[in-house]
Amino acid sequence: MEWLNPYHLQVASFVLINAILGVSIYVTLSTGQLSLGNAGFMSIGAYTTALLSTQHQLPIPVGILAGSLLAGTAGILVGIPSLRLSGVYLAIATLGFGEVLRAVLINWESLTGGAVGIPAIPQMGRVILVWARDRGFTPESLGLQSNQFISLTVFLILLLGTILTVAFFLRLSRSRVGRAYAAIRLDESAAAAAGIPITYYKVLAFSQGALLSGFAGALFAHTTSFVSPGDFTYHRAVEILVFAVFGGSEHIFGPVFGAAFLTVVPEALRSISEYRYILYGILLVLMMVFRPQGVIDPALLRRFRRSGKGAPA
Amino acid sequence: MSGLLSLRNIGKAFGGLSALAEISFDVEPGEIVGIIGPNGAGKTTLFNVVTAIFPPTAGEVVFDGERISGLPPHAITKRGITRTFQNIRLFSTMTVEENVMVGRHCRTGAGVWRGVLRTRGERREEQGIRGRTRELLDLVGLSGTDRDKPAGSLPYGHQRRLEIARALAAEPRLLLLDEPVAGMNDAETQEVFRLVKRVQSLGVTILLIEHDMALVMKACDRVVVFNFGRKIAEGPPAEIRDDPQVIEAYLGAGEGEPDA
Repeated sequence: MEWLNPYHLQVASFVLINAILGVSIYVTLSTGQLSLGNAGFMSIGAYTTALLSTQHQLPIPVGILAGSLLAGTAGILVGIPSLRLSGVYLAIATLGFGEVLRAVLINWESLTGGAVGIPAIPQMGRVILVWARDRGFTPESLGLQSNQFISLTVFLILLLGTILTVAFFLRLSRSRVGRAYAAIRLDESAAAAAGIPITYYKVLAFSQGALLSGFAGALFAHTTSFVSPGDFTYHRAVEILVFAVFGGSEHIFGPVFGAAFLTVVPEALRSISEYRYILYGILLVLMMVFRPQGVIDPALLRRFRRSGKGAPA
Repeated sequence: MSGLLSLRNIGKAFGGLSALAEISFDVEPGEIVGIIGPNGAGKTTLFNVVTAIFPPTAGEVVFDGERISGLPPHAITKRGITRTFQNIRLFSTMTVEENVMVGRHCRTGAGVWRGVLRTRGERREEQGIRGRTRELLDLVGLSGTDRDKPAGSLPYGHQRRLEIARALAAEPRLLLLDEPVAGMNDAETQEVFRLVKRVQSLGVTILLIEHDMALVMKACDRVVVFNFGRKIAEGPPAEIRDDPQVIEAYLGAGEGEPDA
């Protein structure tokens, strides 16, 4: 079991959290709305569950649920006034929302711990290990060390969360609601004339994206067991955007791929991770020039599927 | 008198510029009514007012006895008015079939959870949508091989017919067609003429903006003539053709093509 390295598992866990964040921006984008507020919604999810589990001793699942729902509700409240804005104006307004929220987190010290943040948040893996030990289970019986067991448990929970998220929105995109989203993205007036209530679906997609960001934030809090306003800066918002721009925003697998690639590569090239944002900038420019739709687009997926079917068994 | 659609003193101004003034006429159930007039006469503006792309600045639109001006566009579609656009507005990267399926939106009801869980009711509804979509594509004459292609890849004439299929998917009682044969050759125009008559025979009332006078004379039961945002004449095609006011305003007293 030597190969089960907690460090690799941790990188894999961040890949999954980022994949959920990538899906969160994809969902909002699928109605043609560009939100840069997802780092802010992420902080709502993270802080909600952090406070509930440290100060009120509520179980982790309750905290995650509450954090996600609160972020989704905030998404409705931000989404409704944002309907008057589109394109770059919406991006700026939502970015402003995220920054205001961060200022609140820094300055409301009595609740949020200010710039220092909230330490000692129950870690999912540890909580499960303690729970299992109480019932006479030891990781050694699986040939695992405690820290391997903890990292593995976190990874598996995140994997389940990610699979459910992707499956949910993959199915949604192929349903009546998904067609409405796509129609709004492609031509809002034509969609309205075809009988689609634009306002309803735009707010719905916006709050779904916010809820997912909150979900990712809550999982993040219980993975790192520490959150601070520094985790939810402008850089995070841009990072999430880059997942979608790099990976592609026309299919759900695009931002998932983008999140995976852009999380693993900087880790693999640790020595140059200082220059990550320079790399992002260059990457964005190159994508705009050579592949504006992102790495993954529906045409590419169709080609894969066809060559998969065409290949001899 | 009150028909299926009743326009009462409709006015529309953009800033200080009046695009429509004192437009009043009725459309009776089952009719095909043509709207003609020079470019800029306000014909498309009238469609935009009726479908609530923007609100009128004066007057009211009454549909089936109820005032609909003030309702949002999707609510008007749901009540039974759909349209096509002068500059075709399909969802170009969606397939032909999906475009029509979007048109079924207001006659179906599956929300987020039913869509994700694929409940039995949802699957049945999707099946119904696909079935109706195939019927409509048959009706407008789009063959099976075209149906999985992106709508934007269809030839121009097919795109126009696809737009009609999408509009019909919402089961309209009144269909607004904005220059459905613009840019088409004679053969294609004939096909659209037959299609329009077919749609009428299915019980759909049609309001038709068209520059092709031959088509208007042949297809329409009644014609309304616009000039500079005002209605200048209304009547059966034969009467309109001989109306001196129309000839002067619209046909330009022998100065060649009206829309040149």
